[in-house]
Amino acid sequence: MRAVATILVALFASLFLLFILAPVVGLVSSGGARGVASLASDHELRASLWLTVATATAATLLGMLGGTPLAYVLARRAFRGRAVVAALMDLPLVIPHPVAGIALLLVLGRSSPIGGVLYQAGIRVASSSTGIVCAMLFVSAPLYVSAAREAFARVDPRYESVARTLGDDAWRAFRRVTLPLSARGLTAAAVVMWARAISEFGAIVILTYNPKVVSVLSYDRFTSYGMSEALPVAAVLVLFALVPLAALRALRAGGPHPST
Amino acid sequence: MISLQHVNARAGRFELTDISIDVPQGTYGVVIGPAGAGKTTLLETIAGVVRATAGRIMLGGEDLTLAPPERRRLGIVYQHAYLFPHLTVRQNVAYGAAPNEDLDDVSMRFGVDALADRSVESLSGGERQLVAIARALARRPEVLLLDEPFSALDPRTRNIVRRVLRTVYFERRFTVLQVTHDFSEAGLLGDIAIVLDRGRVVQQGDPAEVFRKPASPYIADFLGAENVFAGMAQPIRAEAPDWVQGHESEFAQYAVAFTTGALTFYALGDVVPGPTHAVIRAEEVSLSAEPSMSSVQNQFRGRILEIVPAGALSRVTVDASGTPIVAAVTARSVRELGLAVGVEVVAGFKATAVHLC
Repeated sequence: MRAVATILVALFASLFLLFILAPVVGLVSSGGARGVASLASDHELRASLWLTVATATAATLLGMLGGTPLAYVLARRAFRGRAVVAALMDLPLVIPHPVAGIALLLVLGRSSPIGGVLYQAGIRVASSSTGIVCAMLFVSAPLYVSAAREAFARVDPRYESVARTLGDDAWRAFRRVTLPLSARGLTAAAVVMWARAISEFGAIVILTYNPKVVSVLSYDRFTSYGMSEALPVAAVLVLFALVPLAALRALRAGGPHPST
Repeated sequence: MISLQHVNARAGRFELTDISIDVPQGTYGVVIGPAGAGKTTLLETIAGVVRATAGRIMLGGEDLTLAPPERRRLGIVYQHAYLFPHLTVRQNVAYGAAPNEDLDDVSMRFGVDALADRSVESLSGGERQLVAIARALARRPEVLLLDEPFSALDPRTRNIVRRVLRTVYFERRFTVLQVTHDFSEAGLLGDIAIVLDRGRVVQQGDPAEVFRKPASPYIADFLGAENVFAGMAQPIRAEAPDWVQGHESEFAQYAVAFTTGALTFYALGDVVPGPTHAVIRAEEVSLSAEPSMSSVQNQFRGRILEIVPAGALSRVTVDASGTPIVAAVTARSVRELGLAVGVEVVAGFKATAVHLC
């Protein structure tokens, strides 16, 4: 009976793994080599890749800028409504991404009050790289905040208490103690956010179809020219996604952070 | 000087209530109490890490109730040291050091100079604690708060750390408040003992006095008093025995007959008639083969129920008419008196050794 259960568990686990891996392996094996080769000749793909990296990096930096203080407050301070704020931060994770794109268009589009003011100031959000950054930030920042919050929570607050009694004010204690102790976790959080940002499609396609990031370009080529043209682009995106995954593994291999 | 006046504080769901304590400049105060009494919260409230919600906190004569921790000129050392793991030993000691502090001297005194370039991850528990104390003292604090700094150490290391700390304390004469759950440590180190229970100060004073005259049966039990009896007290002024005469001026108290179970013994006190508790430390109880003719007013014959050797002393429990009385006697006395389970002896203690609470 026990042997049968073991076999069944192994079978289901293998099928599940196959289900996840088969499309990825199929995509890379079919279009990977052609995709890498086309990087030299396909100007649009190169530009798209560069745009994807630049906007994902910008979105991640903005996410770190705003998300780090928020994550710290959520991890350290007990205040009324903390659970509500945390739940609101997770909201973008459960909204279908095209819906997120529509919501962003509603708020940041030229005909909206905010979008109108931004447009008057020379900042166009829709159909621009700014729009791509906004879409990426909206859908991927919750991942950063959540992981950063955990990273801060893993650092025992008494380290800060000791630093304070040793003469540091709150900001200096954060900078000299908490930040270095949570650095690995914060970096991992940023990598996760960046990885999520480069793979975003739904919100971006609503807010900014052009200029095209790689995910939109692969969709565009699929609908315009069919599978054979879409394959190399999609494969490049998959190969590219392996970079943050490898970085994340390397960070985690560094071992757990001391908390006491 | 540490002075707290009617301080309340809250840490999570735990509350300190109406804390008033005074530890004069240059003295060594010890906070004792069971787990969950609020000892660490008290230190953190003094340090400013936990905010006082009421009352005043005076340090060195200055009202620092609302001051942030960095302005309080104090150091705190926790049981788990909390050395910064991303810094070396030297960097830890230098972290908040006063500009005029000789870091090499501090490190050398605590024997951590040889570890200067080591990662704190590689240190033993004792070494960590030495570095933590050196780090706190390098700031030249006026007040040092110690949260069970020796409890995780083996006896030998504990003695070393304690000795070094005492040497520096006597040299610099800062004010110390140390948390411990070990009363023998409190008696050994402290000038003032503060007993904390469930977020309140239940007794404070000279450690020997707290030890001898606990304010409640609970404290007596916590402090390790073996003989704590519940019973009825009855002042006997009119028929006071002769021995009271000699103590009246000394204690300004009266003779009391205390009845517990089948036993009635004399005590000195100023109590109202009724239910109360009597505490007698085992060290105050003597054993003999026959009743003595000395000034020991309370003597009860009984059989030995148990003998438990505990270091240099043995705890001997005597069944006196159904009431167990514990005496602490030396191993030599055990031999000389031929004490053994079942042997009949006389347990005696003076009326002045009985503390009513």
